[in-house]
Amino acid sequence: MAHAHAHGHAVKRYSGIMDWLTTVDHKKIGILYLIAGGFFFLVGGLEAILIRVQLWKPQNDFVGADTYNELLTMHGTTMIFLAAMPLLFALMNAVVPLQIGARDVAFPFVNSLGFWTFLFGGLLLNVSWIIGDVPDAGWTSYAPLAGTTYSDDHGMDYYVLGLQIAGIGTLIGGINFLVTIINMRAPGMTFMRMPLFTWTAFITSALILFAFPALTVGLAALMFDRLFDANFFDPAAGGNAVLWEHIFWIFGHPEVYILILPAFGVISEVISTFSRKRLFGYSSMVFATILIGFLGFMVWAHHMFTAGLGPVANALFSIATMLIAVPTGIKIFNWLFTMWGGSIKFTAANLFAVGFIPTFVMGGVTGVMLAAAPADFQYHDSYFVVAHFHYVIVGGLILGIFAGLHYWWPKMFGRTLNEGLGKLTFWTFFIGFHLTFFVQHFLGLMGMPRRIWQYLDGMGFNEMNMISTIGAFLMGFGTIFFIINVVVTAVKPKNAANDPWEDGRTLEWTIPSPPPEYNFAQTPLVRGYDAYWKEKMDGHSGMTPAEPIGPIHMPSPSILPFFMGLGFFIAGFGFMYAPDWGHFLGTDLTNGHALGIFGLAIVLICMLLRSVIDDHGFHIEEEEILKDLGGKA
Amino acid sequence: MSAHTHVEGGLPHEPEKATLEGRNKVLGFWLFLGGETVLFGTLFAAFLALRDQVLDGPTPDHLFDLKLVAAATAILLTSSLTSVFAIQAMHQHKVKALINWLIVTVVLGACFLGLEIYEFYHYVHEGHGFTTSAFSSSFYTLVGFHGAHVLFGILWITLLIIQLARKGLTVVTAPKTYVAGMYWHFIDVVWVFIFTVVYLMGKVV
Amino acid sequence: MASNHSATEQNTKRHKVEGPKKHIVAFIFSILLTFIAFATVISGEINKDFIYIILVGTAILQVFVQMAFWMHMKDRGHTFALIGILSGVFVVFTAVIMAEYWVWW
Repeated sequence: MAHAHAHGHAVKRYSGIMDWLTTVDHKKIGILYLIAGGFFFLVGGLEAILIRVQLWKPQNDFVGADTYNELLTMHGTTMIFLAAMPLLFALMNAVVPLQIGARDVAFPFVNSLGFWTFLFGGLLLNVSWIIGDVPDAGWTSYAPLAGTTYSDDHGMDYYVLGLQIAGIGTLIGGINFLVTIINMRAPGMTFMRMPLFTWTAFITSALILFAFPALTVGLAALMFDRLFDANFFDPAAGGNAVLWEHIFWIFGHPEVYILILPAFGVISEVISTFSRKRLFGYSSMVFATILIGFLGFMVWAHHMFTAGLGPVANALFSIATMLIAVPTGIKIFNWLFTMWGGSIKFTAANLFAVGFIPTFVMGGVTGVMLAAAPADFQYHDSYFVVAHFHYVIVGGLILGIFAGLHYWWPKMFGRTLNEGLGKLTFWTFFIGFHLTFFVQHFLGLMGMPRRIWQYLDGMGFNEMNMISTIGAFLMGFGTIFFIINVVVTAVKPKNAANDPWEDGRTLEWTIPSPPPEYNFAQTPLVRGYDAYWKEKMDGHSGMTPAEPIGPIHMPSPSILPFFMGLGFFIAGFGFMYAPDWGHFLGTDLTNGHALGIFGLAIVLICMLLRSVIDDHGFHIEEEEILKDLGGKA
Repeated sequence: MSAHTHVEGGLPHEPEKATLEGRNKVLGFWLFLGGETVLFGTLFAAFLALRDQVLDGPTPDHLFDLKLVAAATAILLTSSLTSVFAIQAMHQHKVKALINWLIVTVVLGACFLGLEIYEFYHYVHEGHGFTTSAFSSSFYTLVGFHGAHVLFGILWITLLIIQLARKGLTVVTAPKTYVAGMYWHFIDVVWVFIFTVVYLMGKVV
Repeated sequence: MASNHSATEQNTKRHKVEGPKKHIVAFIFSILLTFIAFATVISGEINKDFIYIILVGTAILQVFVQMAFWMHMKDRGHTFALIGILSGVFVVFTAVIMAEYWVWW
């Protein structure tokens, strides 16, 4: 019945800006994530540069102490939630369905909803800069600093509500990828034949699913404390500030594995492709990924060694944390053994991947140092910690994202990035990175605390802070070179081949760059791990199709996700200012609450419309598919 | 996609799993419930951490009325059973019985919610307000989150009843109904822990 | 697709209509467990730890019964559902340990 209907329905296919607002195509949503994440990456990067300018000499007063607190809070929050996560979602959207031979994700509508809620949450958070009440309690927002007693302007409200909304988007995005990977794999694509990037996307999505609800509760509790005078974290009324730390880190530690695992996946793909070798120890890689995900939930209190949990808890969490070095070490050796004896090509993508390995090892080693609870009492809250987490997040995740972007850019946009500029990006960024953060280890060991606005002359901090600032500028230049590369590439003809690196191993390289709306004209039959490589080795030119060419069913575009995101944005804004804006037409209802209810009503009405109006989708007919095939062959 | 191949010849036994979209929806909802487990679990954790912080407010053993809780429990448990009957009727393609059982479920859900509102109203008058103490804040947040879930479930199932009446049972409406049934059971399961951890343990002095 | 085939087979194979009987049994069982929990608390005067054990035990048992029968978790094709719920339960377990032991000292 649905079949017959769908043929009859002429679905409007938008163009221009409406196309981007209504798209449910995972490839376009990937590009939207890339643009939005890239934008927030630049915002967060600018904040980082301002921080480093403030610290370049002792007792500098380039920015005030309050502004400095705002900068460091927004830098951390923006980079983690609004830059790193969406950039990963960009790669996951662009690549995962292609790698498993799927025509679409499991929930195209939800996928789009995830993007728009993330974007509006991120915008709400950053509106704070325009209003002038900016979050300033650090990205961890520890109570009681984040409570109304010490943060009585609306800054922390932006943090609480903006992250809550962005978090909803991330959570539903995670569910979408889990179901996509479980249910939508092409025939023959068993779990143990999945490319490692898909595996890491799978485990990361699972971590999102089980970690983000804890953040939801933490933020809701903090919101109730701030907006409705609840007492969760207020010691004066029986609350407990340590409870916030626990809830935050029960979410927060899995969060850092959410970030790093997909980077592991990217590195695995890139190194294997450019070494022209099968990934060494594939099954141990899968096992290590799962183990890291599992252990990630049992180590949160290593962020709280100095909070006073006692020797038993500290010892337990110390050991659990050190255990994570085992699966991570397995991965490092597997990458090295993949390169061993391979015919390695040092493309820009591979440079980032190879640069990742030693950098991440350094971050890992300092991680094990920090895991030793007694030693942590020395390192805690010093620049040593800052150096450590930038080594794993920038040196790990951001290098991984750059590798992935250079590697998959032709698949996403049909144009290959300029190799020369790519290598220039790598060297500037890589050298800049190590200049910035290597010295911070020693600053920390010498006793420079993190999150300070100024330091005195004569402490021995001067030279290293100066070096660090120079490095930060180099990283900025690296980013600018990348943007130049993007612009230069965008005006080149769209002529990337299906398999532009010529050594593609996985399914995404069997279809045009960029792929047609329906990805695969015929669903491929997968005969082994590295499906495309296997066909190449058996002397075939492409995949064996698993079905004849026929009409393909596609979901309809929808504007509802955009409006739901907007509704959340309006609601957040309204509830935040409820106490300030007076009353609604002389009633008990405040104007802020009225606006908040209006925003939520938009969301609920959109949900209602989505439920009531059946989405029959539309079909792409055989002739159109054949025409596409003819045009490309 | 291949989802539409066996739809033409009438509904299969389990219409919610007839299409790939339906199977995606059911699996996705299971995973969502996994996330909801963590959500409620964290709320429980916060409550457990703060439940002794009563300050000047009434203590739990003073406050809670077990007769009310027992009534609420019986109502919600029964509504869970009626939603099972609804899904059974769906599997037998009896649309009318399906709708009737769903109506019973919604009515029972509304009774539960009414009791809860009365209960909260009563507590506030006993001096147990949202801002009284850390105990009261965490109590209202946990039980309130559950109540909000019940309210959402009532609205959702009501909307489904209207859709089933107008569109009938199809491979589109079936997964929606099945998933709503799962949601309703989950709410009941959460309540089992609420009456155990919040009310009964609160009564143990 | 791989998963399609197994699900289609399932549909055709198991066509016997299940009766309401086992669900009513599950209901009676739930009521019974609830009754035990309430009765234990109301009767009072027993050792506090013992009451807690009975309460948690009856709650877990009841949830187990409901999930297995009413949510069809014991049926085939629920592997990932089970993994999803159990992973959630695992995280909840750590959170409860946290709340009980590491918040106040």
